[in-house]
Amino acid sequence: MTAEPPSAAPDGPGFSAPPVGSGADASTAPVEPRRRLHPLSPLLHGAKTIAVVVAALSWQTLSQVGLERFALVVLVLALGVVAFSLVGWLTTGYHVVGRELRISDGLIWRRNRAIPLERLQAVELRRPLLAQLTGLAELRLEVVGGSKTEAPLAFLTVRDAAALRERLLALAGSLTARDTAGPAAAAPALERPLLRVSNRDLVISQLLTPQAFLLPIGVAFVIMQFVLEGSWTFIGIASTVTAMAGVLLQPVRRVLQDWDFRLARDPSGRLLVRYGLLETRSQVVPLNRVQSVGATWPLLWRTQKWLHLRLDIAGYAGEPGSDNKRSDRLLPVGDPATARALVWDVLPGVDLAALATSPPPPRARWLNPLALRYLGVGLTPEIFVSRWGLLTREMHLVPYARLQSVRVVQGPVQRLLGLATVYADTAGGRSGQAKDRDLAEAWALAEQLAVRARQARGPAPLETDRLAPSAVAAPDAYWQRPTQP
Amino acid sequence: MTEPFAPSAVDALEPWPDTVDWRPVSPKLITVELITRAIWVAVVLVGLTVGLVMQGSGFWTAGMVVVVLYAIWRSFVTVRAVRAWGYAERDQDLLVRHGLLIRRLSIVPYARMQFVDVTAGPLERAFGLATVQLHTAAAASDARVPGLPPDEAARLRDRLTALGQDRSEGL
Repeated sequence: MTAEPPSAAPDGPGFSAPPVGSGADASTAPVEPRRRLHPLSPLLHGAKTIAVVVAALSWQTLSQVGLERFALVVLVLALGVVAFSLVGWLTTGYHVVGRELRISDGLIWRRNRAIPLERLQAVELRRPLLAQLTGLAELRLEVVGGSKTEAPLAFLTVRDAAALRERLLALAGSLTARDTAGPAAAAPALERPLLRVSNRDLVISQLLTPQAFLLPIGVAFVIMQFVLEGSWTFIGIASTVTAMAGVLLQPVRRVLQDWDFRLARDPSGRLLVRYGLLETRSQVVPLNRVQSVGATWPLLWRTQKWLHLRLDIAGYAGEPGSDNKRSDRLLPVGDPATARALVWDVLPGVDLAALATSPPPPRARWLNPLALRYLGVGLTPEIFVSRWGLLTREMHLVPYARLQSVRVVQGPVQRLLGLATVYADTAGGRSGQAKDRDLAEAWALAEQLAVRARQARGPAPLETDRLAPSAVAAPDAYWQRPTQP
Repeated sequence: MTEPFAPSAVDALEPWPDTVDWRPVSPKLITVELITRAIWVAVVLVGLTVGLVMQGSGFWTAGMVVVVLYAIWRSFVTVRAVRAWGYAERDQDLLVRHGLLIRRLSIVPYARMQFVDVTAGPLERAFGLATVQLHTAAAASDARVPGLPPDEAARLRDRLTALGQDRSEGL
């Protein structure tokens, strides 16, 4: 069920928000004044940009222009960047109006964004290294439809950020916010810890990756090259190491990122995810915002029986590529029992160990010569499960309630064999897919998915709860009700 | 826990033939598509002719022949492709099917609709056509119905928005 807790309050455009936080009445209280970000923000932004600039100038430039000039260039750029950030800081402001967060920024092109909080998918508090040193944090809101994180509020003090996050989530999560968002919300909520990934497991798991195996080879190659050429310049080594680091140090980055991974549930059932060493991230995900869960069994982890769990949330869908930026971890590494318990927590009623799938017909062998054995889909009462992958085995769990659309696609070769692929699209970006099913089965599957998605969303009790009583009584509120049971 | 399906004899192009009332798109879309293609072919041919005049090698002539043959073949495909487009409104969802080489069928529940686009290019407008596209929160969703007469497009849009509004909810 996707039903949010029912409320007596009508919910819609034009409705003034319930008094929250301040306790003042919405009708009498003046609009909350716009607030600025923390005064240190421009410096921190500047530092980040300067790091990028220095990286772009590269070692090569340093060797060409000499140290003094290099420092001078960097200094001038730094001053420019800080001045620029300062203007940005002066013109940026945010405030909460009703059930919206409004952010305005820009000097020449003014931009005002109103973020409706009902659409909030997840909130994340990020603290990069510099922010940790200065006691600041960046608040990132994920909303659907944004091609990137829509409102990164960088930076606020940790206390402000945490308070704002609680307030936004209280406004967003439940329509009964008035009960929770009083002074009581300021008190630290009692969390129930779910799990903690041991750092030892994390390090071992990242040593068991192809990149980690390649690292010694890469190092040996570089040393060989220098020995053969006999040119041991500092610049040469430095640039080679920098270039290699980008590719081969992904396991190290992963370890740094997922360090001290902790999961907890707060009293209102939201998932709290915290991790990171140099940049700590702390993410709050309401459980009804989980679009799908993915499980991965990498080849090299198989001796340990480990797996990786991934959480898809709508807001992150459009964020480009590299998984460093995305905060989609549910379990960086864990044994099957942990994963099973965790999946049960996130998708109630789903037992990871008991997900039966049926394979496609044998003639699909022509399209999947090796991996046919590992293809399969299954329908449980709650989710659509699909699995695939020969070396890295993967499984994708999509709750019916989160299905956005269902597609059946048949390519030319599939038509010859009488096969078709069914996609179950979610807002999380990844689709569940039933590859190469028998055509008749594919149609039946698509129909089943559509029907189950409809049932999972409920026969619309939600709307009647939210509508004003008069609207419920109106006969035309019923004319589109499903006719079939 | 896989439930047994009941696959009966189903035709590839007609899933659930008894329950679904497929509507075709306007045949005028064929003309629009052919004119669009003709314009492109003309542009390419002009380019090739310029090349022929400047250089005068057989390569350019061969290119022109290839372009013309390709255009003729695509035109035949277009006729069939437009006839293969179809959409159906059911109680709860919109069905759209299209494609010849790769056949696609989309089932989009009205409740999942985020917004509806109605677009009409200059050529489409000249022939009195419009395209309706239904967007969901999933980027992969693919529910586009081209070649609708304006009143049908407006009706579909209004119906979709009405149904979407009644059933909308968070994700």
